[in-house]
Amino acid sequence: MARTRTQLLMAAAGVTAVFTATGCGAADMTKQSSPYANVGGAKSVTLSVQSWVGAQSNVAVAQYLLEHELGYRVDTVQVDEVPAWDALSQDRVDAILEDWGHPDQEQRYVKDKKTIVPGGGLGVTGHIGWWVPKYFADAHPDVLDWKNLNKYAKTFKTAESGGKGQLLDGSPSYVTNDKALVKNLKLNYQIVFAGSEAAQITQMKQFAKAKKPFLSYWYEPQWLFNQVPMVEVKLPKYTDKCAEEGAKDPDSFDCAYPTTPLQKYLNADFAKKGGKAAAFLKKFHWTKKDQNEVSELIASKGMSAQDAAKKWVEAHPDVWKKWLP
Amino acid sequence: MSATTTRPSTDPATEPAAGGTAPDETRPSPLSAVVRSRAARKLAVLVVIAAVLVPLAHAKWASGSWPGALTVDVSEPLGKASDWIIDNRDSHWIFLYFFGHISNAVIICVRVVYVVLLTLGWAGVTAASTLLAWRVAGVRVAVTTLVSFAVCGLLGMWVPTMQTLALMAVAVTASVVIGGLLGLAGGLSERAFRALRPILDTMQVLPAFAYLLPVVLIFGIGVPGAVLATVIYAAPPMARLTALGLRGADAGVLEAVASLGATWRQRLLSARLPLARKELLLGVNQTIMMALSMAVIASVIGGGGLGDRVYQALSSVDVGKALAAGLPIVLLAVVMDRTTASAGERLGEPPAEDGHRLLRGWPAWAGVGVITVVVALIGRLAGSQTWPTGWAIPIEEPVNQFKDWMVDHLYTGVPVVGGTAEWASDYVKWILDPLREGLQGLPWYAVLLIVATLAWLIGTWATALTATAAMAAIGVLGVWEPSMDTLSQVLAAVFVTLVLGFAIGIAAARSTRLERLLRPVLDVCQTMPQFVYLIPVVALFGVGRAPAAAAAIVYALPAVIRITTQGLRNVDPAALESARSLGATQGQQLRQVQLPLARPALLLAVNQGVVLVLAVVIIGGLVGSGALGYDVVFGLAQGDLATGLVAGAAIVCLGLMLDRVTQPTSRRDRKGA
Amino acid sequence: MATTVVPETPDTPRIPESGERAPVFSVRDLWKVFGPKADRIPGSAEAELSAGELRARTGCTAAVREVSFDVQPGEVFVVMGLSGSGKSTLVRCLTRLIEPTSGTLKIDGEDVLAMDKARLRDLRRHRAAMVFQHFGLLPHRSVLDNVAYGLEIQGVGKAERRAKAAEVVEKVGLTGLERRRPGQLSGGQQQRVGLARALAVDPEVLLFDEPFSALDPLIRRDMQEEVIRLHHEEGRTMVFITHDLSEALRLGDRIMLMRDGGIVQLGTPEEIVGSPADDYVRDFVRDVPREQVLTVRRAMRPATSDEQDGGPALAPGTTVADAIEAVARTGGPARVVDGGRCLGVVDHACLLSVVAGLDGKEVAAA
Repeated sequence: MARTRTQLLMAAAGVTAVFTATGCGAADMTKQSSPYANVGGAKSVTLSVQSWVGAQSNVAVAQYLLEHELGYRVDTVQVDEVPAWDALSQDRVDAILEDWGHPDQEQRYVKDKKTIVPGGGLGVTGHIGWWVPKYFADAHPDVLDWKNLNKYAKTFKTAESGGKGQLLDGSPSYVTNDKALVKNLKLNYQIVFAGSEAAQITQMKQFAKAKKPFLSYWYEPQWLFNQVPMVEVKLPKYTDKCAEEGAKDPDSFDCAYPTTPLQKYLNADFAKKGGKAAAFLKKFHWTKKDQNEVSELIASKGMSAQDAAKKWVEAHPDVWKKWLP
Repeated sequence: MSATTTRPSTDPATEPAAGGTAPDETRPSPLSAVVRSRAARKLAVLVVIAAVLVPLAHAKWASGSWPGALTVDVSEPLGKASDWIIDNRDSHWIFLYFFGHISNAVIICVRVVYVVLLTLGWAGVTAASTLLAWRVAGVRVAVTTLVSFAVCGLLGMWVPTMQTLALMAVAVTASVVIGGLLGLAGGLSERAFRALRPILDTMQVLPAFAYLLPVVLIFGIGVPGAVLATVIYAAPPMARLTALGLRGADAGVLEAVASLGATWRQRLLSARLPLARKELLLGVNQTIMMALSMAVIASVIGGGGLGDRVYQALSSVDVGKALAAGLPIVLLAVVMDRTTASAGERLGEPPAEDGHRLLRGWPAWAGVGVITVVVALIGRLAGSQTWPTGWAIPIEEPVNQFKDWMVDHLYTGVPVVGGTAEWASDYVKWILDPLREGLQGLPWYAVLLIVATLAWLIGTWATALTATAAMAAIGVLGVWEPSMDTLSQVLAAVFVTLVLGFAIGIAAARSTRLERLLRPVLDVCQTMPQFVYLIPVVALFGVGRAPAAAAAIVYALPAVIRITTQGLRNVDPAALESARSLGATQGQQLRQVQLPLARPALLLAVNQGVVLVLAVVIIGGLVGSGALGYDVVFGLAQGDLATGLVAGAAIVCLGLMLDRVTQPTSRRDRKGA
Repeated sequence: MATTVVPETPDTPRIPESGERAPVFSVRDLWKVFGPKADRIPGSAEAELSAGELRARTGCTAAVREVSFDVQPGEVFVVMGLSGSGKSTLVRCLTRLIEPTSGTLKIDGEDVLAMDKARLRDLRRHRAAMVFQHFGLLPHRSVLDNVAYGLEIQGVGKAERRAKAAEVVEKVGLTGLERRRPGQLSGGQQQRVGLARALAVDPEVLLFDEPFSALDPLIRRDMQEEVIRLHHEEGRTMVFITHDLSEALRLGDRIMLMRDGGIVQLGTPEEIVGSPADDYVRDFVRDVPREQVLTVRRAMRPATSDEQDGGPALAPGTTVADAIEAVARTGGPARVVDGGRCLGVVDHACLLSVVAGLDGKEVAAA
């Protein structure tokens, strides 16, 4: 009896403690950071890692420099692109280093809510498109025009695509208009989502090994080009009008993807109070060649991201010295 | 007076008839006849219903797929709701004063545990866990614990392991408390139990993936959402077992306690709860297992820790890295499972009489505390709080080489059996595609009718109604086509699972040696989180529906084998002996005695197989299985909650339907522990 | 129904010393009906129906119907009947473990049915303790803690209750097993724990609900001896439920025979065996060795004048079996003497007619 009473008291005390700690007033969960951040007094930065290797290279180099040159602790969280915006606005992550253009989110968080601020360009230009392997393009040069794609539908057929040709798409998180394109260009193709980029790469490598033909959604910069040389298929020319209509009605896309200068974004509070780390991330700026160098080390040489970053940092002090505040 | 005299004479006349219609499970021989006649009657009713409704439906909405006129477009309101939430998350009172506090409390709790774990350092944590395991579960489990934590460190996964441990500790505590309270209500109040039971039954069959979206919608990406999704997933078994334990308490003991004049509270604390302690501990065990398997899935919504590492590795097809992150999860699961399980076994035994006095009671616990502190201090003085980096053993490289070798040699062109790539494409071409086309080609009302028939034949009209309504809901939500796709994948994988599972199960039931060989393998397999299975299958089977099916089969197989073996083993030995005495051969014994008598167990195996396969087929969306799983992944990845929620709801309906169609009379708990 | 309700206070020759004290339990017109609208049955027209008709007509089962009796202080009151006769329900009604449907029920003159929760708890804690057929022990506690459980519930301090429990454990012969768990004991030992738990709270009445039915015959005998011994030592009032006639006859000062919820007969063992109230009871006691239950008081006939002084003297409570031995030894009739006064004599014929079961008519005729 006495013991149960003590236990009850303790439980009550515990509950009270939690409530005292959380405060009795409002608790804005958009201002609550990760429980793993800043443990043990270390200054810490949380970076969002996207699933593709190029983005991993950015983060790896930034992390290496933040840790070794500026004395921060860096946490990385893998979040898909759109949720990453949400997480960024809630300060669950401090920065996104490579964004491929999300006008809706930009409108909401940067312009309306002002919880996110642009961090400047990354220096790399991204381009999305449809690609075929070089060995196939060499043998069949006319495949490079979208108008001839239907002719090759049978060639690109697989078990997963049924009777149609297979257009291999990657992670569901990527920016894609492929469904609309296939429909509007009246292509006899079935889109097969690999589910993740990794799965897509595995599949492409396997095709390449067997010298089989394939048609895939892909993008630059991408290290895989070094291993599997590919040629882009020309889609109807990109126009601003097409993009504007597409923004209104995603089902109406009927032109190629634009070429996007990749952007960095920071949490608004972090940008103000983040000190050296925020200043450093704002200045972070490199080229497609730099990024590919690191990506290649990670993806095909089997190096860990940190080792690859170290190697690049040691080789290119002239580039990163400029980023330090 | 005439009424009194006629009554007894009518009674005997009605009673046999009533006895005939009631389902009678005790007598097998008249049972089949009764079932047949009942089945015939049910079929007749269904035929009549179909004869009226099908022409109507056909005339009005003749199409293979669900008619567009009967769908409700929910994406618009859902999209608006999601926008409203995002816009008001930092201003509306419900977020500021309710969800905000929950989220904050979760963050603080996780942080406190995490800081404690980091402060203890690797030495302290290892020592504390090992001593704890030794105290509650004995030396063997303690050694397992020690080795497991050492391996976590050696794999270079110390920090993520601690993050997962912190998240787990909070999620499991919350699940146990919430589930325990719900179970308490259900155990003490008949009405609460009746209200709770269908909910718990349903939650038990839902794939973990379906829980993520609603949570993300409110809490956003991050630890609070991950913890809450885990709690929603892991609390039901605790609630269920608590309620069952309290209700199953020996009535005689409770009466004796009441006869001594115990108050309600004394009765609860000194009798009911202690009497249910085995179930309570089993509940804790199941909760931990569910939470661990969810901890990985929760990484999709920013749970961090080991799950995040697995997720990262999975997205770069780095099998080595994924294994390095997956192994600690499995080890944590094994350690926690063994600790709670053997603590449960030890409960019934009296305290050991032997051994030094200092090894018993509170002095031992104090000793555990002191040793932990000392070791932690030594660890801190000797080096860093986290595992020394120099001690890590990189396994990524060799594992990846091994994987490459496997892929090179197994993927294609293996003589006679063919490579895994050929298997995958054959499976897709000859099983999945025809099945999918068949299901999608079938008129929608035919599908509903088949579901109704199956559910009614195996259960009551209520089950049939639930199953049909669930199926219709899928159509109304407008995701008929992808649901049929998912259904075809589930059915095909279940088929393979059952063929393999029954074959191995029968073999294991007949050979003790094989069973002994299988047991540890099954034990480990059953404690593995679903996610871990996805890694190797991508390497072997490429991308698409085949790897998802392979993962599903491997995941569901242990449960099916185990239930089959146990079912066959538990067949009344007297029946078997009498068959043997009549000179039945081994085959005859199996066919005529063992299998018919083990029917309930086999049905249960089918049910479990279906539920487990569905869970993994959904996760298969991450490796290209498409359909509903992909929609959920897409919804999460694009923040398109309309798509994701609709797909999640469809998964719920599909799970409900599949469960009802295969539900045996009695149901046991998910992992059969 | 041919249920004979025996007068509520029959003469109770074997407990003369406490006859003047108020009864421990006083039960009047007690009903327990299970089923829908159970409270409407007592006193209604349906109350007269047989069990089968009642169930058919109302869906109710009358487990206890219109039962009245008194339990005198210090006596062993046995309630006997086959399974389903309502005896277990009846004993649970005494402490309201089962709530009676109607009637009155008093303990030491205090109305039990009017008690509030606290008062009822007090009754259960201090005045009536029960021993159960399936023991009802707490499997997670040691023998000692099980015995001390009733005291723990009362809020007695740990040291005190343990000391008391140890005392009782010794009394029931479980010394040395204090640290065991119930699961490690035999059935007989477990029931000793159950008995000790009831004794530990030092109750006014002990209620036994078929306590030895689950035990095998030899152990059952031991336990019966144990109860008899305890009764001798402490003189505690006991209400004992059993379905075993020989147990009832061994232990009971008075026996109440129940059938279908009602009382068939209430009386001393001798009355039950010697003058069965109806065919049901007669059938029940047919195989009882009558000479071991009946006494010479029943067998004797008035003495003729020449028999007043001769022959061996027997007390009126002597069993017929003992009388046969005495009569056989002397060859002549024996006198039945109470306090120096000769009540009558028994001879060969008297005793044989008792053994043969002819005495009932004879007594009635006399």
